[in-house]
Amino acid sequence: MKSSRRCAPLSEMMQNPPSSSIIEDLEDLYENAPCGYLSLEPSGRIFKVNRTLSNWIGCAPDQLVGKRLHDLLSIAGRMFYETHIAPLLRMQGFFNEVALDLITEKGERLPVIANATERRDAEGRAISTRITLLKATDRRRYERQLLDARDQSRSAEAAAQISLQNERETSELREQFIAVLGHDLRNPLASISAGARILLRTPKNEAETRVLRMMETTVVRMSGLIDDILDFARGRLGGGVTLSRDAERALGPVLQQVVDELRAAMPDRKIESDFQIADPVNCDRSRIGQLVSNLLGNALTHGASDKPVRVFASTDHGVFELWVANAGDPIPEAAMDQLFQPFFRGQVRTSEQGLGLGLHIASEIAKAHEGTLTVKSSADETRFTFLMPLRS
Amino acid sequence: MTVSVRNNVHVKGTGERAMLFAHGFGCDQNMWRFVAPAFEKDFKTVLFDHVGAGGSDLSAYDPAKYSTLSGYADDVVEIGRDLGLQGAVFVGHSVSSMVGVLASLKAPAMFSSLVLVGPSARYIDDGDYKGGFSEKQIDELLEFLEANHMGWSAQMAPAIMGNADRPELGEELTNSFCRTDPDIARDFARVTFTSDSRLDLSKVTAPTLILQCSEDIIASTEVGEYVQRSIPGSKLVVLAATGHCPNLSAPDEVISAMRAFV
Repeated sequence: MKSSRRCAPLSEMMQNPPSSSIIEDLEDLYENAPCGYLSLEPSGRIFKVNRTLSNWIGCAPDQLVGKRLHDLLSIAGRMFYETHIAPLLRMQGFFNEVALDLITEKGERLPVIANATERRDAEGRAISTRITLLKATDRRRYERQLLDARDQSRSAEAAAQISLQNERETSELREQFIAVLGHDLRNPLASISAGARILLRTPKNEAETRVLRMMETTVVRMSGLIDDILDFARGRLGGGVTLSRDAERALGPVLQQVVDELRAAMPDRKIESDFQIADPVNCDRSRIGQLVSNLLGNALTHGASDKPVRVFASTDHGVFELWVANAGDPIPEAAMDQLFQPFFRGQVRTSEQGLGLGLHIASEIAKAHEGTLTVKSSADETRFTFLMPLRS
Repeated sequence: MTVSVRNNVHVKGTGERAMLFAHGFGCDQNMWRFVAPAFEKDFKTVLFDHVGAGGSDLSAYDPAKYSTLSGYADDVVEIGRDLGLQGAVFVGHSVSSMVGVLASLKAPAMFSSLVLVGPSARYIDDGDYKGGFSEKQIDELLEFLEANHMGWSAQMAPAIMGNADRPELGEELTNSFCRTDPDIARDFARVTFTSDSRLDLSKVTAPTLILQCSEDIIASTEVGEYVQRSIPGSKLVVLAATGHCPNLSAPDEVISAMRAFV
């Protein structure tokens, strides 16, 4: 290590080094030092103490001689000293920066920081222990504040954990409730649908027929909503979207049926469809039907009502492609990121709002088929495209 | 994880019979550094750290298991089984005296004699029983520990490590002496000073030696005598040594009292 010039004698650095006329009084340095001094026998008894420390305690030095260090400490300090400090001192010959409380003659606490060294003989036996004590009232108060702050942050964190856990449990219960509710809603809906079909078998006037047709399409729409709720709840509960794939049966008629149902439900809206499905598509047909139904429902709700909604499906170069496009205002940039999140709803009239699950479920169905569902939106058109490899 | 890694077990010595040393609250197996070597010629010596102390595996610390002395005694029994101990001498300091009492009740064949250094059956006063401390004083100790460990375990070791002239100091300190995880130390303090082993003492069948220090504020002579009266056939030796750690302050006296017993 490079030697510091600070330690070189001044005589090496200057021709006439200044000499001080004051001589340090070592006796006074010991007695009135700005710290307490204490010397202990190996038994722990005090055999010398300086005036500074005896002033702190409030006893004359000779009153302290013969007492034990314990007698100056709080009970906790004594226990700590015996169990931690005394062993450490014996083993390593010193200790540093131990926080202790002295108890003064008046019974007040005086926080101090203690350092100590053990003097040993040639065989390593203790001859005596020298302890230096520094007042540490402010420091101890500050440390106490730090500890309090730590404890506070720990308990705040624990409370947050508990409330998070409660929230999770509540949310799981809520989703279980939704799943059960969705399931139970299907039966009455089936009765309404069956009732409407029975009534249609007998001749009706034009108004009655229109009402019954409307009931049927409403049932279809409601079934779709219930399916979405059930799928969502199942997904949250860990079930995910389950598939039963079938490559044998044709997908075209399923898509056509979805389109027909929506045309019937919304006769004043135009839906243009073009299906060119030449190759077998190994998919869950009712799920793809649900996907296209959700995309069309979305396009009809958000698209310009005076422009057609277009739906296209094809198999080409080993890829099944399906897209749904509508005209109208583009999707705002800010909404793009959340489009496929559950319960996301765009800017529409309250009466037209759904649950905000349609696009979420559609994208979950796409994922389950190892496919992708993406969106492009401009002033010309908004187009959702589902792509899926045919090999799987 | 093996028991021997978990509890940082060290086996030395050449004797047939084993002597297992258990450290108390506040330190680790270094507590026995002046005593254990004296028995290496005649005994197989076994030293270990309680989980949370010294070189033990801190990740093995389970607050539920170690919320009673029984959890610590289970570890002693596991160490004994791992080493195949039979008819061994258990030497326990301070709170580990009672850990040894419990271990000898759990596995009677493992320990044929007990040496209890500075034992206490209960630290808190209870009616006629004078443990030496009030409940409030124990609470104060727990708070006190918190104030001290802050500057102790985390900051002191690196400061000494920085002593470039004497690297062996930092090396030895950080690796060994009385290193305790502060949170675990506080738990152990609570378990130690709120323990009550009075009902276990009369069940002890192993020959027992009690080493009692003079002027011990942790375990008074009165408490030592209570332990002696409660353990059938036990023997009490009052040492000239003062304080709570005669194994460090007066190892020769401890060694000769132990030799006379075993």
